Amino acid sequence: MTAASAGFGASRARTRRSLLREGARRHPRALFGTAVVALAVLAVLAVGFGTVSIAPETTVAIVLHRLLGLDTGATWSAASETIVWDLRIPRVLTAAMVGAALAVAGATFQGLLRNPLADPYVLGTASGAALGAAVALLIPVRIVVVEFGLVHAFAFVGALLAITVVYRLSRLSAWSGMTSLLLTGYAVGSLLAAGLAMAMYLSGATLRQIFAFLLGGFEAATWPRLAIALPLVVVGTAVILWRARVLNGLMLGEEAAAHLGVDVRRERAILLAAGSLVTAAAVAVSGLIGFVGLVVPHVVRLVVGPSARAVLPLSIVVGACLLVLADLGARLLGDIPVGVVSALVGAPFFLFLLRRAQSGYEL
Amino acid sequence: MDASPHPRPRHHPRLGALLAAIVLAVTAAGCGTTESIRITPQPGATGSALPPSTATPEPSPSPAFPVTLVDDEGTEVDIPAEPERIVSLTPATTEILFALGVGDRIVGRVEDITLFPPEAGPIPEVAGFGTVNIEAIVGLEPDLVIAGGNFFTPPDGIERLRSVGLTVLVVYAADVETVFADIELTGRAVGRGDEALALADAIRAEFDAVAAATADLAAPRVFYELDATGAIYGPADESFLAEMIALAGGDPITTGSPDAFEIPLERLIEADPEVILLGDAAYGVTAEAVAARAGWNVMTAVRDGAIRPTEDVIITRPGPRLGEGLRSLALAIHPDLDLPAEGGG
Amino acid sequence: MTDLVPTDRAAIAGPPIVEFRAVTLAYGRREIVRAADLSIAPGERVALVGPNGAGKSTLLRALTGLLAPVAGQVEVDGRDVADFDRAALARRIAVVPQLAVLPFSARVEEIVALGRLPHEDPIRGPRPADRAAVAEAMDRVGLGRLLGRDARELSLGERQLVLVALAIAQAAPIVVLDEPTVHLDLRHQVEVMELLVDLNARDGTTVLAVLHDLNLAARYFPRVLVVADGRIAADGPPADVLTAARIRDVFGVDPGILWGAPWSPASADR
Repeated sequence: MTAASAGFGASRARTRRSLLREGARRHPRALFGTAVVALAVLAVLAVGFGTVSIAPETTVAIVLHRLLGLDTGATWSAASETIVWDLRIPRVLTAAMVGAALAVAGATFQGLLRNPLADPYVLGTASGAALGAAVALLIPVRIVVVEFGLVHAFAFVGALLAITVVYRLSRLSAWSGMTSLLLTGYAVGSLLAAGLAMAMYLSGATLRQIFAFLLGGFEAATWPRLAIALPLVVVGTAVILWRARVLNGLMLGEEAAAHLGVDVRRERAILLAAGSLVTAAAVAVSGLIGFVGLVVPHVVRLVVGPSARAVLPLSIVVGACLLVLADLGARLLGDIPVGVVSALVGAPFFLFLLRRAQSGYEL
Repeated sequence: MDASPHPRPRHHPRLGALLAAIVLAVTAAGCGTTESIRITPQPGATGSALPPSTATPEPSPSPAFPVTLVDDEGTEVDIPAEPERIVSLTPATTEILFALGVGDRIVGRVEDITLFPPEAGPIPEVAGFGTVNIEAIVGLEPDLVIAGGNFFTPPDGIERLRSVGLTVLVVYAADVETVFADIELTGRAVGRGDEALALADAIRAEFDAVAAATADLAAPRVFYELDATGAIYGPADESFLAEMIALAGGDPITTGSPDAFEIPLERLIEADPEVILLGDAAYGVTAEAVAARAGWNVMTAVRDGAIRPTEDVIITRPGPRLGEGLRSLALAIHPDLDLPAEGGG
Repeated sequence: MTDLVPTDRAAIAGPPIVEFRAVTLAYGRREIVRAADLSIAPGERVALVGPNGAGKSTLLRALTGLLAPVAGQVEVDGRDVADFDRAALARRIAVVPQLAVLPFSARVEEIVALGRLPHEDPIRGPRPADRAAVAEAMDRVGLGRLLGRDARELSLGERQLVLVALAIAQAAPIVVLDEPTVHLDLRHQVEVMELLVDLNARDGTTVLAVLHDLNLAARYFPRVLVVADGRIAADGPPADVLTAARIRDVFGVDPGILWGAPWSPASADR
């Protein structure tokens, strides 16, 4: 490590840091609580800031009024109320939901596939969703049910269809379960990506819309969309949390897991389904946002170790924090794509953690 | 580049000139009344037929609001009272509003590099190319938003603005005739219906002047270059730009399909333009640079030195300067054209 | 502390803890094991030896429920293996895992803690009893000095010990090992063998180990099964089973056999 020769002060600092990390490892619950508080603070900040400046008291008053019917005697314009209640709050809540969903799905796929480079999109969900969305945008029909348009529905279906195909095809291969999944996922993903390229080539003006979807973002977040996606994410996440011990069992491989009492076939299907459901819901609502699903679980693992019981809940909260922060940043920086901000914020932090980590990391 | 030259099936360019002449004749006959006959675009074109104006023909002021207008996407838009705070999401609309004298009511506009008029400069930008800042628009509390169709303003954005209760009128002119319709639509939406009709008539008069001046001239083959840094981009078949070239007395060389904007070099060489117009002159493309391009020297236009820059904005922007644009286009195609001075009509 | 006194099976009362009855095992159409019969009493220490491809590992997989027999029955505690659900079977049989690549860094105690999975409360996770079992297993294997270390940094020998500790933490009456000494140096080989003997002697754990090393089998296991060509060619005390003739016959090698003093690790660094 770097600070080798720095002397007494440095070694004391190192001790403090390692004590902190030890504490974190031993008490994941406390860490979880801290993370939740951080999320709440970030969410409040994110609702308070935006292109139009609204005084914090007004923001609070509006929320209290809409949520609890309280009248604090403050007055505000209809525009402010619309901005806070119809624009910002759904946006922040959607960002939190998507961040949580992608992070937990990433942790699940990494554990399931025993691959630190896995992310929620590794089994073709991204390509499937993108192709679904492109197809929806190319169809000259506009159907909107409760603000869930054709694009969102097709993206959702596309993601799930892709992974179903991957799962089925992988069963036919000679490779063992997880390897075959990965390889098939890659192949199917590439095929779908080719389909997407073709669709984009044929698309003309809608190309820009397809790109907008692919870059991902929360501009279109509305209460009804949130209301439809949230139960899906909650159900999927609950299933994953419930199967946390399975992910632990898989750490040494499928055979070892079976010997430890895990019904590998069944659990693989359950975890795949839950992870894909959560990913598909996230992608349908906000497009393809990368980085979160890959990096957040690693960051969390560096602090609390590999046990899924700690990693999963913490990933949920940290993922939510990251995207809320990224969305706020994206808005304040002039509406640049969220994925860019999350990468810009997260990557250096991740590298910093890597340097400080006690063990090397062979990726 | 400003216009959204998105291809829709269109009447033949010469027919357009003929129709313009008919309009001129009819307007001349109907001069003095404020009600004119509208040419309804053919089925399949995106412009929609305007219902007869609810304003009465008398010149005396009469209640123009509340009014229900049908915008270019076919949506019925209710405007309860004369808008005082307008957000303009297309550069053409900004120009139209200023031309109608209501420029001071614009509270927010779309970003525009070739901004006109300069008085629009201080107005806050609330949208960019392909992006819309919903929050900023809502924050301005507008009572009318005019957006651009055919994806100029993202449809999601339009939907969002409407979902939070704003009045949004969508305009999209795929052909010249719809430009006039949009001017009138915009005018009625802001309570300046009469001024809009007059503006439209003035532009039509300019069109007629050009038509008259070029009537007996042979139409040279014209290639309007939009961009040639990578592939060569030019007017698509039956596009707005192709129509303008035809109305200006040229025979437009097009890409061969209404959906394609790229034209392969071989096709261009085979088409052999007699005149090359540089729509990308504003980006620094010069006649010498064009002449130096490999393979271009076989074209008649290059051999004759008929490579001329144009001010692309006024030619393609579906706004009040379109007549001026047509004039400049005609002069670029026929440099010795005998056009009377501007004004009149 | 090695015990080479052959276990007197007849003297042990009660039903066999593991029984194979006319078991035929195949992968697809390829038969590996034909009509094998095997009976192991509780508390026995058995080694399975044989050339590559003879079917030793296959027999183990049938025992642990990974491979269903084409014919015959595999029984644990008198019940067909197929009737156990995986977690219940994991509480009866602890398999020392093969050395595997860890995708994430994990501490030694976290790896050993995996052995408690079959016992953990599914919702609440590890309880104090589980943590105690892990500590005890690590102690027993002598991993105290490795506490808190990243498992990926350990030597092969140390990692194998960690995996043995995992199986010990699983606290099952049967422990199964498949070639646990392949990557180990001499000292670690002996350590593992001593551990198995200890488990067997102190806790009465039934130990079943596939070994490629005939010497280890002969020195540490009172009962040796020779598996060849999908059959159990011999079954009994090593002196009876590992004769020159049989070794020549099964392994195709002319051995020099010396029966000498038992080994033990150098006492200095224990």
